[in-house]
Parts: sequence; C-alpha cells; structure tokens
Amino acid sequence: MKEYKTLSRREHSHGPVSIDFYASQSGIRQWNGCYKVFAAVFVLILCLILDTPLVSGFIILTMGILNVTGNRVELVNYMKLLKIPVIFLVMGSVAIAAGFAAEPAGDFSISLHWFYIYLTKKGLIRALQLFLKAMAAVSAMYVMTLSTPAGELAFVLQKARLPGVLTELMYILYRFIFILTEVHRNMKTAASSRLGHVDFKTSCATFGKIGGNLLILSMKKANTYYDAMVSRGYAGEFSLWEEEKPVKAWQVLALACYSSVLVCLRLAEGL
Amino acid sequence: MREELIRAQHLTYRYQTGHAALEDVSLSVGRGEKIAVMGANGAGKSTFFLNLNGVLNAQEGDIFFRGKRIGKRDYKELCRHVGVVFQDADNQMIASTVEAEVAFGPVNLKLPQEEIKKRLEQALTYMDLQSFRKRPPHYLSGGEKKRVSIADIIAMKPEIILFDEPAAALDPVSAKMLERVLSELSKEGKTLLISTHDVDFAYRWAQRIVVFHQGKILADGETLKIFSQERLLEQAHLKKPEMLKIYEVLLERGLVRAGSYPRQADELADCMEGIANNERNI
Repeated sequence: MKEYKTLSRREHSHGPVSIDFYASQSGIRQWNGCYKVFAAVFVLILCLILDTPLVSGFIILTMGILNVTGNRVELVNYMKLLKIPVIFLVMGSVAIAAGFAAEPAGDFSISLHWFYIYLTKKGLIRALQLFLKAMAAVSAMYVMTLSTPAGELAFVLQKARLPGVLTELMYILYRFIFILTEVHRNMKTAASSRLGHVDFKTSCATFGKIGGNLLILSMKKANTYYDAMVSRGYAGEFSLWEEEKPVKAWQVLALACYSSVLVCLRLAEGL
Repeated sequence: MREELIRAQHLTYRYQTGHAALEDVSLSVGRGEKIAVMGANGAGKSTFFLNLNGVLNAQEGDIFFRGKRIGKRDYKELCRHVGVVFQDADNQMIASTVEAEVAFGPVNLKLPQEEIKKRLEQALTYMDLQSFRKRPPHYLSGGEKKRVSIADIIAMKPEIILFDEPAAALDPVSAKMLERVLSELSKEGKTLLISTHDVDFAYRWAQRIVVFHQGKILADGETLKIFSQERLLEQAHLKKPEMLKIYEVLLERGLVRAGSYPRQADELADCMEGIANNERNI
C-alpha cells in the first residue's frame, strides 16, 4: 500500500482518476462486487422509504465512517468529495424552502423592493429533511463508488444480464479514459515546454491542435488495440474474468442488522 | 535440421494504400529456435509478426503450421499457437486489473474455469506479479507493465512467442529481467522470435538472424555469419556488435583464442585465459 500512497500525491486532482484510485486501494475491495452494489442500493431504498431526518442522519454518519475507515479515504478528502453534491443540494434546497410574493408572507421575509422573498418554518424543515435524505443517498452511493472500480462494476452489470454491448463498451471505455488522459497530459506538457500556453490566444490555438491530434491518435490507438485483442484470441465476444469472491455470512448478517437498526430508528421516532 | 514448426511462403502484404509492407517473404522456423529479427524502422518486422499471428491476412502467400497449410478461414487459429508481446505494453492491456488482464487470453481460448485459474497463477508466479494482481494497469511502472504483457502471453501457452522490440524503453534492471525470462523460456523449449535494433543483444542471445529490408528478407543465417558481412550490415542500417569488434582487435594482437567468438564479457575472459598463460610461459 505504500506505493499507492506516493501515487496519490501525484494525482491529487479530484476527477474520475482519484475516485478510481480510492476504489482500487479500498479496504473492502475484496468483498463480492454484487453484494456491494446490492447493499448500497438497498440502503439507498431504505433511506428513501423510511424518510426521516434521524434515519438520514444516521446513514450519513455510518456511511461516512465506512468510507473513511473501510474505503481508506482520508477525512479531508472525503469532505472534498462531498463538496460537489453538497453545493448542488444546498442550491436545490434553497429553491424549495424559499418563495416569492408581492407582499410580506410566511414566517420570515426580505423585501427586495419589487417583491418579497419569504421562508416558512414548514418549508424550511421540509428542505432540511430533503437535504439530509439526499445526502444520505449520496453517502450510500459513495460507499459503492469508492470500493468498486468501474471494471468490476461492469462485471456486476454483466451478471445482472445487461446487454453485452453496454458492459463491453463500459469496460473498454474505462480503460481508454486512462490511456487518453495520459496521452493528453503528455501532449499538453510538450506543448507547454514549447511556449504553447504563453498567453490566452496561444493557449486556445494549442487546445484546438491538441484536441485534433487526440482524435487521430485515439483512432490509431484503437486500431492497435484491436490488433492486440485479436492476437490474443478475441473473436467478437468480450468475456470478462473475475475471481470468485463469495459473500460471507457475516456480511449478510451485518446488512440485516444495519437495516433493522434503521427500521428501529424509524419506529422509535414514530412513537 | 530441427523439426519445422512454422513456415511463411511467399507472403506479400499490402496496406490499403497499396504500399507493400511485405514482399515475397519466405521463412521457415524450427522448434526451439532463438531468432533475432532485425532491420530499420518500417522494414516490415511488425507486419510480419502480425501475419504469423493471424491478425493480418497477407493477400498472397501461405503460412504453414506444423506442415499444415493454414487456410484463409483458419487464420484466427494461429493465435492459439503463436503469441505476440507488443512493443508498447499500454496498447496490449485491456482489463482493469492485472489478473483479469492475464486471464483475458485463456478466457478467449474457452478453457474451463479451473484451467484458467491454474494458468493465471502460473503466469503470475512466473513473472513475479503475485503482489500486483489486484492492481489496475494504469498504476504500474513501465517495467511492471512489460512483465504483465509477457505474462499475458505465457498464460496462453503458445509454442511460438514473438517479441516486438521488447527492450525498447526498459531500464537496465527490467532489461536484465527480460533477458532472464527469455533464456528461461527457451530452456523450456519455446520458439522465440525477437525483433530488435540492439545488435549487442542480438549477438549475445540469438542463434540465427533474419534481416528485413524494405519489406523483403535481405539475409537469413547464423548470427556470426550475418555480423561478419560488413556490406550487408551497412545496407540494412545495422552495426557490428561491440563484443565482436573487441574480439577481432584482440585476435589481431594474438590475445584471444582463434575461432572462440565469445558472446559475453565473462566468456571473453575464458577465451583469453589460455593465451595469456601461454605467453607468460614462453
């Protein structure tokens, strides 16, 4: 794992690369892929059905702990990963909580000369509930994303009888993204070293040229790739190989316990 | 003469542009041979390899495997017996983990699950990759990728392995690892063809050298014979190996046994030993 650590320094941008990176070093990588996807979706559904702030808060907390300890994502980086959905959700919640009116209304209102923006307590609570629910759903999905590399996900989908074309495409695209980003990075560095990004105008021209080159290169690469596949016996049917990772009894038990805790929380609140 | 394993007969391969990458190429390869395929860039080495492997179909000529003519329809059969290790490992790797990558070939061979598993373990152990098995290929170094690309082919257990410029872009440690693997493979009776620009490596390793020049075979023969033809080397843009030059200088001064032709530095010392002692005795 030490080598992974040094790699993480180098690729610290938070794009798909880093999510993939976390997935490949996750502590629960070895769990059965189908189980992980099922568990995450199951928690997500429970979160939507039970729909109370207490349950949502509990899910956010526990999934957060699982992501930091199980998936080995540092807390700071996990917060950064959460930032994007949080921004979206905050904006969405504000739209739900606030309303416009011609004259003062609701529990709080602000005059904006021509009209009023107002908030009602009920609306506020509703927005908060929704925010928590969505965050809980996102956390549950992050557990899946941060522990299952896209290749394994394609395998799960293949098992779920999704059409082969889709899973193959997903699998090959996934691998190609890394090849193309690397080629792109190299071209960009090479262009920079020849003053390709010296000012805005040059940068724009360089950007276009790199884009065009990337297209030609990706076509060429796709050809050699195909040759390489044929040379290893590819005959139009892409079969994936995954090691059998049996679901352990304690994992099923843990999921059962966790969901009963969620249900109990809901019932306790209802009393 | 060794038992013939594969033979190309009058192969001519043209690209869509009409440019002939191979022109009337005939070559017979025996079991267990160690052949270096040399020639300038664009001389047709890689195209020839892809033809032997069945990926490309020559418009004219035939390929015989174990004396049986491979018809146009059975070309794909060739990749069961002939494996290619591509020059750029990145162009070869498809899967998202090392183990899935190595298993890709065996899965395509439609082997039973246990056999796939067995071959996977063997290939990973052979190339010392057990600790990398869960890693995605894009988090590997260049030398590690090369090892994976070789394991890919070993797992398919072909009789013939073609290496397309395997030492390009490898650091000295990885290059040494590669040579070790090559000698192990030929000890196991595999037939190896390696395309390379490195004359010193070819002199050290190969028994036979095939020289390509503008899509044709310019020369084909024993390593020593090829490297002693100055005119041929010049025409094919090749150099004389350093070790051979050193040997010739030493021979001129009478410091090395005639006809010993050392291939490596430690062999050279052996070839010089007797002579040096004799001189002292005189």
